[in-house]
Amino acid sequence: MRLFVLLMLGLLSSPALAFDLADLQHRLGDTQGLSGRFVQTRHLADLDTDLESRGHFTYQRGKRVVWALEQPVEDRQVFTPADARAADDAPGDTGDDRRRRQIAALLLNLLDGDWQALERRFSLTLSGDATAWQVALAPRQAALRERLAEVTLAGGRYVERLRLETADGDTLTVRFSDLQPLAGSDP
Amino acid sequence: MTRPAALGKHLARLWGLVLLAGVVSLAWQLRDGLPSDTRLTALLPQDRQNPLLERADARLGRAFEDRFVLLLDAPALPRATADLAERLSAADGGRLLTRLDWRDVDFADSDPAAVLGPYRYRLLTPSLRQAIEQDGGTSLVQPALARLFSPGGDPEPVADPFGLLDRWLAQQDDSPVSSWQGLLTVRDRDGTRRSLLIGRLADTPYAPSAQQALTRALRAFEAAHPDARLLHSGLIFHAAGGARQARHEITTIGLGAFLALIVILLAVFRSPRTLLALLLPLAGGLLVATPLTLALFGRLHLLTLAFGASLIGVAIDYALHLQCERAVQGRRFHLRPLLPGLALGLVSSLAAYLALALAPMPGLRQMALFAAAGLAGAWLTGVLWLPRLALPVHPATARIAARWWSLTTPRRTLAPGWLAVAALILLGVTAGRLTADDSLRLLNPSSSARLAEERRVQSLLGRDTGSRYFLVTADDEPALLERLAELGQRLDTASADGLTIGYRNLADHVPPPRIQDANLAAVRRLYGEPLATLVERAGLPGSVIAKARATLDSVPRLDVATWLDAPAGTADRRLWLGPVTADDGTTRLAATLVLNGVDSAAEGRRLAALADARPDVCYVDRVARLSRLLGELRRHVSLWVGLALALLTAGLVLRYRRQAWRVVTPALGALLGTLAVYAVAGVPLNVFSQLGMLLVLGIGLDAGIFSAEHARRPATWLAVSLSTLTSVLAFGLLAFSATPALHYLGLTCLIGLTLVGLLVPWVRPAPPRIKERPHGEPCPAR
Repeated sequence: MRLFVLLMLGLLSSPALAFDLADLQHRLGDTQGLSGRFVQTRHLADLDTDLESRGHFTYQRGKRVVWALEQPVEDRQVFTPADARAADDAPGDTGDDRRRRQIAALLLNLLDGDWQALERRFSLTLSGDATAWQVALAPRQAALRERLAEVTLAGGRYVERLRLETADGDTLTVRFSDLQPLAGSDP
Repeated sequence: MTRPAALGKHLARLWGLVLLAGVVSLAWQLRDGLPSDTRLTALLPQDRQNPLLERADARLGRAFEDRFVLLLDAPALPRATADLAERLSAADGGRLLTRLDWRDVDFADSDPAAVLGPYRYRLLTPSLRQAIEQDGGTSLVQPALARLFSPGGDPEPVADPFGLLDRWLAQQDDSPVSSWQGLLTVRDRDGTRRSLLIGRLADTPYAPSAQQALTRALRAFEAAHPDARLLHSGLIFHAAGGARQARHEITTIGLGAFLALIVILLAVFRSPRTLLALLLPLAGGLLVATPLTLALFGRLHLLTLAFGASLIGVAIDYALHLQCERAVQGRRFHLRPLLPGLALGLVSSLAAYLALALAPMPGLRQMALFAAAGLAGAWLTGVLWLPRLALPVHPATARIAARWWSLTTPRRTLAPGWLAVAALILLGVTAGRLTADDSLRLLNPSSSARLAEERRVQSLLGRDTGSRYFLVTADDEPALLERLAELGQRLDTASADGLTIGYRNLADHVPPPRIQDANLAAVRRLYGEPLATLVERAGLPGSVIAKARATLDSVPRLDVATWLDAPAGTADRRLWLGPVTADDGTTRLAATLVLNGVDSAAEGRRLAALADARPDVCYVDRVARLSRLLGELRRHVSLWVGLALALLTAGLVLRYRRQAWRVVTPALGALLGTLAVYAVAGVPLNVFSQLGMLLVLGIGLDAGIFSAEHARRPATWLAVSLSTLTSVLAFGLLAFSATPALHYLGLTCLIGLTLVGLLVPWVRPAPPRIKERPHGEPCPAR
């Protein structure tokens, strides 16, 4: 499931003015940086409980992504291309490092606009118009479907909402606000 | 009809019945195909074999037989990899492979947590266990919270609030393979990234159709991507290479030798029927040797078969002598004068081979029995049947014999004194410089380039070759895991102390019960105060605490069988040998701990010392072990043949007195000459060149005996020449084979038999004055 944060971050940088995925992919490379706030709600079906967290993020193309949780716990995750490069060069490190590096590798693939990587896992359907669009992602592999029911992304100028539903009924919803292109990065 | 003639007829009939019985029993024995054996260790005496080691070897060696690995280096890697994968999947109409893994998602097709979930509370990574030991696990609350609220996590607040299983699974995954742009990739030290494709064959790697389909698909790919570079690994590539090489050699060396043989024999005897008759003794030999060997040993070792086939060279001797004599003598031909020479020839060869049967090695015994039975069968067929067959005699044969005789008889003969001096010099050269080589490369027909490529792939993938390992046994599973875990700790200590090796240990994945219990106790501590803090800070309902604690009530222990059945554990199946029966009849459990990166002899000694220090642990270096066996085999062959030679020489001295040197010089001279050539050229001696020497010895002794028995007979010299020439063609040409074993056998025959041919004219009894006679007249009898 950690895949979906990457996916989400990848799409954040896409100015969704276009209506086919090829265009979307083309546009993806245009945004050099983006920042904003997020509210994440995780609904745990078997406990009938919501876990809510908030924070902010920044994305600088080719440099790094920072995902900063502010509440209820402070945690900051930074992914850099160096992490990605190191992903397979350090067989001796601990599991957590290794997983982090793999996340970084995948993340940067996405941010660099590698839609092929996404399409390998999902079939993508785009609907709506330039001011209010929606992309539905359906897992291709049966093994992935066993864990993940559906992913939807919605937005206008940028991605505004991401919703992820797992097979066991849990959902993860992330709402974005105050989205700003980083200074000097938008044409 | 005279009495001896009637006796001969009866015996010939009787022999026919014996051969018929051979045909029948062979047909019965071969009803399910030839029971053959290729294991080198099968050549060893029972008490020297360790069945457990054999099992471990087979298990580690065979694990990946039906799989192959390709590493691709290409400029547009994702596209090239996809194209290659498509070609492989479509190969042979899609029937070549049952599975091909090349996308990163191919590896993540099952959720390991589904199988291992119930055991997770007994599985802790060392760092987690340490953290709990230090402060009860308080320091783990913060990461668990972050995990709970991170968008990427898949938190299970009840089942695993601290994400223990994820941490443990991440640690088990120590492969250097990583995902990149949807591919599985590995990188070497220079940073070159290669994509990885793992195929599983539908058929055996030895199936020619599979080999061809794979080769075709790869060729087409390489033609379409000229700048792509592939690294191959897998038995099928070696098997395909071997098959290609064998085909090539059969069509060049084999066919060439066969044609040359036919042409020469036809040129001399000028009759296809004679040609067929010459092969009769060979058939007779095989019909006696094969059923007898199978009946006594149950199965035929491939080495026996290879060497047994070399009987051709010796078996055909008798037929050649008979036929040459008949061609030259015409109507005056009688078997009787030839019998002493023929009998002595047989006895000498039998003695040489039977000496091997005394060696305490079943493999050599089998070879010796096969050779001796074959020779006897061939001899009897030749002596009993050939004279009774009405074969056309062409006058050209006698003419050729006479001309060959006058052409090749030297004007002088050698004095024994000079020979002795020469022998001493050769002996000196040999003793000073000859080396031996018992390496396993001899048995491996793969080219060194392919082997190097194989090693490269294995090291890029961080895999071991399964050739060095610890074999560990214990009475039950807990004790075995305990022993393995302790060994792993020793290895870690040694690694910290500078030993640069890696290993794969079952006990790292299935901890011994003692450690599993300790882990559970640690998790219970973690589920005390730290869990309450976590739930409170996360804002989870308080009921979560009780629910989570309830999961610890009855946690099953992870056992080996469960782990090996889990998707993550399949790779460990080859480490598990399971129940084995010990020498005293008790059943014990055994497993291997496989090592990699053992590059130096010093490291090997250190590991061996580690094993020696503890009971029920044994360090195995498979390559060294098999090399040692090869060396043992080689030394036994030389020892027993040397003994046989000494006895034979003594026997020959009794019969030939002062002329004995003439009999033994061709054989001994050829052996000594071959050894000296090897010594000077720096070619090390090995077990296969020694088997070749046995052949040289047999043919050389025959040549010496016949030349001495029937001195001054062109027919004898023609027969000796033909027998040497046919053997050179049949075996000497194997020197050009790229298969090491055949190459050395052939090279020895080539040099040795040539020397036999060259030596005979110089040492045979002084030539008679050949009167000028019209061509075609038979030579005068003795």
